[in-house]
Amino acid sequence: MAKFIVIGERISATAPSINKALAERDPEPILKRAKQQLDAGATYLDLNIGPAESDGEEIMKWGVELLQSNFDNVPIALDTANMKAIEAGIAVYNRAKGKPIVNSADAAGRIGYVDLAAANDAIVIALCNGEGIAANNDERMMYCQTLLERGLMAGMSEQDLWFDPLFLVTKGMQDKQMEILECIEMISQMGLNSTGGLSNNSNGMPKHIRPIMDATMVAMAMTKGLTSAIVNPNDLRLMETIKSVDVIKNNTLYADSYLEL
Amino acid sequence: MPFNRKLQKFSASINEVEIGTGDKAVKIGGQNVLPFYSFDGNIGNGAKVGIEISDLGVEGMPACIQACYEGCTSFADIAKKAASFEGVDFLALSLEGGDPNGLNKPTDELIAIVKEVADATDLPLVVEGAKNAEKDSELLAKVAEVLAGKNVLVMSAKEENYKAIGASAGLAYGQKVGAESAVDINLAKQLNVVMTQLGVNANSIVMNTGSASVGYGFDYTLSTFDRVRAAALGQDDKMLQMPIVTPVASETWGVKESTAAEADAPEGWGPVEARGISMEVQTAVACLASGSDAVILAHPVSVSTVAKLVKELV
Repeated sequence: MAKFIVIGERISATAPSINKALAERDPEPILKRAKQQLDAGATYLDLNIGPAESDGEEIMKWGVELLQSNFDNVPIALDTANMKAIEAGIAVYNRAKGKPIVNSADAAGRIGYVDLAAANDAIVIALCNGEGIAANNDERMMYCQTLLERGLMAGMSEQDLWFDPLFLVTKGMQDKQMEILECIEMISQMGLNSTGGLSNNSNGMPKHIRPIMDATMVAMAMTKGLTSAIVNPNDLRLMETIKSVDVIKNNTLYADSYLEL
Repeated sequence: MPFNRKLQKFSASINEVEIGTGDKAVKIGGQNVLPFYSFDGNIGNGAKVGIEISDLGVEGMPACIQACYEGCTSFADIAKKAASFEGVDFLALSLEGGDPNGLNKPTDELIAIVKEVADATDLPLVVEGAKNAEKDSELLAKVAEVLAGKNVLVMSAKEENYKAIGASAGLAYGQKVGAESAVDINLAKQLNVVMTQLGVNANSIVMNTGSASVGYGFDYTLSTFDRVRAAALGQDDKMLQMPIVTPVASETWGVKESTAAEADAPEGWGPVEARGISMEVQTAVACLASGSDAVILAHPVSVSTVAKLVKELV
C-alpha cells in the first residue's frame, strides 16, 4: 500500500488573511502557510480561492504559479466553484510532482467536475453525495457508482477518482460516525482511493479536544482503508498519528526517526 | 488469449552515486527497476565489481590468491596488479590490520598505506575500516582527509560512529560515505536519516546493508536487499534510495568451504581454490540479483566471472 496522502487545507479563502492575500495578490501570507504545511509533511496543498466569480481564472493561475515556483512544483488541489478558474490553473500547472486534483465533484450539480478532470488528465475528489446529504450507505455507494461510471466513460483511470464519504459532525450526528467508516471500507474493498475533510467530525468541539478526535478518526479511517485526507498538517497529534498508522499498515518502513520524516 | 506484456513501472529511482575522478570514475545506481529488469525500464549504471586488497599485503590473502600477486613487493605493486585484472571497476582497500583486537596497527602506518595505494592507481577507491567502531572514527576520518579531492567511498559509518565519519568524509572532505547496518532494515533507514540530518547529501551516501556467505544465514542478506528495494522503489522512500555496495570476499573466504584443504575436506569437495571461487561467485551474483549495486571480491577469477556475467546480462 502507498503512503497516506495528506492534502494541506490551510490555504483557503475562508481564512480572512488568505482571502485578503488572494484578492491583493500578496504572496507572503500564502507562502508562509504553504511552507508550514510542507514542513509538517503535507504532500498536496489545497488552494481554495472561494467562489471567485469575477477574477477566478487570474487568481488560480497566480496561486498555482506562486506555489509551484516557490516549492519545487508542489502538487496542488485546485479548489473553487468556478470551473473556468480550475481549467486556467491546470493550464499553467506543472505535473512533475503529481497530477492536479480537481476539488470537487458530486453526483448532482457538480458532476461536470468529473468531465473537467477527465478532459485535463487530473485527479478528481468525488463527493458521495447528490442533492443534500446522503441518508445512508446505500445512497453513498449509489452516488459513488454514478461518479465512477461517469469518470470511466470519460476515459479516466479509476485510481484518479478519490471518493469522499463526507465526514459528518459528531456533535449532532454521533450515530452516523460508524456508517462513514463503513462507507470508507466499502470504497476500499472496491480498490478505490478515498479522501475527505476529516476534521469536520470535530467541528464545534473545544480547541483542545479537536486534535484528539481528529487523530482518533484518522486512525480508525485508515484502518478501514482511507488513502488520503484534507486536513491541517500543522496539527502535530494528527500528523504523528498518520505517520504511526502508516508504519503499522506497513505503508512506510519504520526507522527510529520516522516522526521527523 | 494473447500474452499481454505488463511493465512494472516505478516512479521512484535509486540515487546515482559517482566514485572516483576522471575517465575511470564509476557511477552506481540510477535505475528505476528491479535488478537486471532491463525489460521493465532503465537499469541505470548496472552492477559494478570491485577488487579487495588489504593493509596485510600479499601475506594476508588466501594462498590461492597470493599466487595472482606473485612478484609484488609493495602496496603500490599490489594496487597496480589488482587494477590490471579483467573486469575490475574499482579498488577496495581494507584496513583490517587496524583492529585493536587484532594487529592494532597505528593510524599513521595505515594512512601511509592508504596514500601509497591511492597514488598507485587511477581507479576509484573504496576504503574499508578496521571493523572497530572506535578505531574507525579516527582512522576513517583521517582517510577522508588525506584523500581529499579523490572522491573516494569511505566504508563504513555505523550507528556508533556515523557522526565522526559522516562529518569528516561526507561534510568536510566531500567524499562518499558508506552507511553500514547488519541485516536490519530499520537501522539501514535510520542511518540514512541521521546522516542526512547531519548535513550529508543523500546523493553522497551508499549503503552496506549487511553481508554473509551463501549457506551462512545468507537468506537474511537477500531479504534485506529485497525489502530495501521494495521500499525505495515501491514506496518512494527517499531514505532508502541509496545504492548498495556489498563486501563479499571478506565473508566468503573465511568459511570452511573456501578454506579446508582438499586432504582435510569431505570426499568429492575437490580443490580448495575452485571451491573458494565458487563460493565467492555464487554469493556475489545472488547479491547483485537481489539488489546490491556493487560487490567487492578478492579472487581475480571471481571478478572476471561476475563482470562477464553482468556484461552479458545487460
